[in-house]
Amino acid sequence: MSCHQFNREMSRRGMLRSAAGGFGQLALAAMLGGTGRARAATQSSGPWRPHLKARAKRIIFLFMWGGPSHVELLDPKPELNRLAGKALLGSNVGVKKKELGTILGCPFKFGQHGASGVWMSELFPELARHADKLCVVRSVHTEGQAHGEALLRLHTGQANLVRPSVGAWVSYGLGKENENLPAFVTVSPPRGHGGVQNYGSAFLPSIHQGMAIGSAEIPIAKATIPNLERSVATSALQRDQLDLIQSLNRDHLKAVGKDQDIEGLIGNYELAFRMQSTMPSLMGLERESKQTLERYGVDVEPTNNFGRQCLLARNLAESGVRYIQVSTNYTWDHHTKVEEGLIKESAKVDRPIAALLEDLEQRGLLEDTLVLWGGEFGRTPTAENGNGRNHHPQGFSVWMAGGGVQPGLTYGTTDDFGYRPVSQPVHMHDLHATLLYALGLDHERLTYRHAGRDFRLTDVFGNVVHDLFA
Amino acid sequence: MGSTKASMVHRNPWLSLAVYSVCWCVGGFKGGAEETLPPSDPVAGRSHWAFQPLSNLAPVHRSSWATSSIDRYIFDQLNDAGLRPSGDAAPRDLVRRLYVQLTGLPPTIDQVDEYLSSVNADATGRLVDSLIHSPHFGERWGRHWLDLARYADSNGLDENFLFREAWRYRNWVIDAVNSDVGYDRFLLEQIAGDLLPYETIEQRDRQRIASGFLVVGPKVLLGVNTERQRMDVADEQLDTIGRAVLGMTVGCARCHDHKFDPIPTADYYALAGILTSTQVMEQRYMLGQQRRMERLVGLGVEGAARDAAYEKYWRELPKVKQAKTRAESVLEFLEKDDEAGLKEYLMKHPEALAAGAKESKVERNQRIEIQKAAVASFQAIIKNPPPIPPRAMIASDIDQPRDEAIRRSGVFDRKGAVVPRGFLQVVSSSHSAKGTLDVKGESGRQELGEWLTDEHRGAGHLAARVMANRIWYHLMGSGLVNTVDNFGRTGVVPSHPELLDYLARRLIESGWSVKGLVREIALSRTFRQSAAYDEEGFEKDPGNRLYWRANRRRLEPEVLRDSMLLVSGELDRNPMKSSVWYLGDQATAVGANKNRRRTNFYARSLYLPMIRNDLPELFDAFDFSDPHATTGARPKTLAPSRALFILNDELVTELAEKTVRKHWDNGSSAEERFKGLFKSVLGVKPSEEEQTRFLAFIRSAEQRLRAEGAEDPERSAWALACQSIFAMSRFQLLN
Repeated sequence: MSCHQFNREMSRRGMLRSAAGGFGQLALAAMLGGTGRARAATQSSGPWRPHLKARAKRIIFLFMWGGPSHVELLDPKPELNRLAGKALLGSNVGVKKKELGTILGCPFKFGQHGASGVWMSELFPELARHADKLCVVRSVHTEGQAHGEALLRLHTGQANLVRPSVGAWVSYGLGKENENLPAFVTVSPPRGHGGVQNYGSAFLPSIHQGMAIGSAEIPIAKATIPNLERSVATSALQRDQLDLIQSLNRDHLKAVGKDQDIEGLIGNYELAFRMQSTMPSLMGLERESKQTLERYGVDVEPTNNFGRQCLLARNLAESGVRYIQVSTNYTWDHHTKVEEGLIKESAKVDRPIAALLEDLEQRGLLEDTLVLWGGEFGRTPTAENGNGRNHHPQGFSVWMAGGGVQPGLTYGTTDDFGYRPVSQPVHMHDLHATLLYALGLDHERLTYRHAGRDFRLTDVFGNVVHDLFA
Repeated sequence: MGSTKASMVHRNPWLSLAVYSVCWCVGGFKGGAEETLPPSDPVAGRSHWAFQPLSNLAPVHRSSWATSSIDRYIFDQLNDAGLRPSGDAAPRDLVRRLYVQLTGLPPTIDQVDEYLSSVNADATGRLVDSLIHSPHFGERWGRHWLDLARYADSNGLDENFLFREAWRYRNWVIDAVNSDVGYDRFLLEQIAGDLLPYETIEQRDRQRIASGFLVVGPKVLLGVNTERQRMDVADEQLDTIGRAVLGMTVGCARCHDHKFDPIPTADYYALAGILTSTQVMEQRYMLGQQRRMERLVGLGVEGAARDAAYEKYWRELPKVKQAKTRAESVLEFLEKDDEAGLKEYLMKHPEALAAGAKESKVERNQRIEIQKAAVASFQAIIKNPPPIPPRAMIASDIDQPRDEAIRRSGVFDRKGAVVPRGFLQVVSSSHSAKGTLDVKGESGRQELGEWLTDEHRGAGHLAARVMANRIWYHLMGSGLVNTVDNFGRTGVVPSHPELLDYLARRLIESGWSVKGLVREIALSRTFRQSAAYDEEGFEKDPGNRLYWRANRRRLEPEVLRDSMLLVSGELDRNPMKSSVWYLGDQATAVGANKNRRRTNFYARSLYLPMIRNDLPELFDAFDFSDPHATTGARPKTLAPSRALFILNDELVTELAEKTVRKHWDNGSSAEERFKGLFKSVLGVKPSEEEQTRFLAFIRSAEQRLRAEGAEDPERSAWALACQSIFAMSRFQLLN
């Protein structure tokens, strides 16, 4: 598509966003016609149809808040151990600065796993069993030396301006699969470093904002969704109350003839009421077998919390949520004692993640669910405070699984020190373009008109990394 | 598109991708004269309607319906479309509409009855006058401006530091609107208040507080190149001023000539030079260390001295702490009677021994006492920080104001030609076609502030159109130009160009009196129309662009909360100062910091803490404006959080309960009580049918609650009924 052409006619998505009734009418249809009709209405009037062949229907993003060290986890660098204690020169890695600090060796062993021989550190023994499902990208780079900027760029592509988050774009692009749930749910999101902006909708309609369950510092077992809990004791009583409200509102509508706002309100109450019964059943563990709970490491430490989060993610994925983010607490920021820290943090997530991949596969969900693992940046090859590592957006690793990506692939390389990509670099914008591509969305065509111009997730950047797909 | 830039980036992945790329403009204009000149040409651009001088065309038709000039303009176009205005709103609806639109609060039952007892043209005029002079007018209309000023009590973005003093600016806006400061002066003080002459310290401080407008924007604070930050801050200010005052997306010209509007990149940097010659940040003590944060100034006669003393305390605190530790070490040597150790220690830190304890003649016990006293005095300093002095966020000129270089593609370190500071050429008069400034030793902000509303040589006509349209938008529910923040070529054209120009002229002629224009529109028959549906009108003009009826409006979250507070008898009508005084420097509760903004003040909602990324739940659930950026028209969406808030939020259930308690003893029967309750919330009596349904619900709810063992089933059932009234579309929408 050309940069300087824009269809000035009111498009369907334009109508949906400008007419308050857009959403309200859909919800109203749901109320009047039952879920079957609502689904049809949602599909036919969804803002976008996929531009391309969709490889995945949904994304689960496992976010390791703080910046996990790529050179200890996914990108082995023997040079670090060979030259440990020596200075890393700028000339070693092609930067102007003379010295970058003292090289810190990696205390962990790496090994090749599966038929594909994906390299992985000993910190991920469980995940290693699924090596052949993974597609490791070792050449990701972004901006933001501080967490705040890096988090905003990871989640919204921008830092100095408020932009919709990736999940909000996905919700806007694909609409809902389940009319009782939002298309974007974020489990335990960080409150700091941009906070709600990281799952916000910015100028996109607020229905695309991520629904937050709890926040990072609250154990997921205690997490809640604002106002989801009934203010009255029983569902039956609230149903009675709602029937009263709705009958009055319908009378009002009848009295005034046509009114989008009244229609919208009526639909909105119904949706809220249904969400109240749908969500708790997804958040509870009652339906899970003992084996499942064991597999995810629920009720045993250190995996209890992340295990529950992953189970919830699976439930949400199964129920048709399009974009699910699961965040750890702010625990991957190892400025000191990177060895100790990584042992501790990896143990919390390794088993739950392995269980999630296995579970998704067994349920036939992995083929159309893209799982992404990563942090806001990696960590420096040089030491900080003797035994820690500093922030490093210049080059780091993420992995993906399912959703049509090539299993067993290792893509891109960094230099001998893991400092910066030297082949097949993948900028954060490229990663975003690629995620949308997996869902069948063209990042250059997924636009929204605001303040006189069209915006997209990737601004003027982004190339889809086609090589990642099978 | 984008591929060239992107692939360039890819060949150099390790180069910091500092390209801002703020502006990605899609679209284009083809054909006609515009093909020969680029759309950014500022002289050819003057032909665009918004940059033309204000017209003075009288309405054509006579009509017995019209009672004002506004009505005649409206009638002209209705007539041309074969439409008729709808009838007048019922007096009950009108009085509610006027109260809400002018003060943000619904009328009390008494106020409704008072108006209804004397309905005539005079009564409406008197009501409008009294509402306009009510202090609540400034709260309602000041809040409209605060949306545009992206007002917030914290920075937001990457590091959410508290703006402890921002509330002074918020209250300055309310006061300025209440005293009907002309819009020209209102803008000037916000853009150059720190530079304006003053006669009293109070005036100086007021003007300084006003300049906080430039400071309250969000900024990326950590890990940023200072030069980049300087350009970003100016860009944020330009974007805000451009859209809020001029309805122009000036920011688009940061990286390239504007793709649609007559703003060449040179014009952007001419303006940017004024703002990069201004500073809104400084080095300050915060969170235990020196940080670059918002610029502050002490208020009052002693303000500067008190502020300096406060900063000095924190600056020197680490030294005091160190001195205390050393004095303690000395004390230990003394107590252990370790003369050798003491001697060695004092070689390194001679100052650690208290003066009176130096003489070795002095008895050891006495030396210990003296040294103990020294430790205690340090401890006292550490334990008793001085109170934060009254300060305000302020902008000021930098030491050596200078012109700015164009930054190629908007990248901060790719400098191009230097452009003299100046204004947008497209709205500057021909005799200063370049719009350049003649200022030496100053930033040029005062000139910028004057240029914005200069109707002879500056942007006055455009600014008047934009502001008149905003006033119309707030009162009528849609703008004459519906893209209220965009009057450029990508915005929509006015539905009633002559009326818009008429209103803009009225605004200028009245000395830029906002109250005057509000009054004139509120008294028009157009404003007084009913919102009734009409098949023919709907058929021909479903969007009501021609104003054949009044627009039904959703209550803003502030009005919704304030209304519930009012009927429950809990509303505190007094203005509030800071609502964030209890917060530390970190405005969001993150990690170890559990201190979070509170919302349990029963003052009007505009005084609630506006913490970016942690707005009060009410604002999050409803369509508030995101205070990160200027917002002229709040979004209109329906997220399920809205309904969930009404059904389940503690605030709603609590206020429903309190409302019921307030009306409990009204009337001798359930019927009487219900009538009173219903009328107090909605301003009208319930119909027989409504009453029957409600009472039936109350009875059955009471039974259910009793069966569940609820504490006070009767009162609780009534509270549910009251909450149901709050949930009614008739409460949530304004007729």
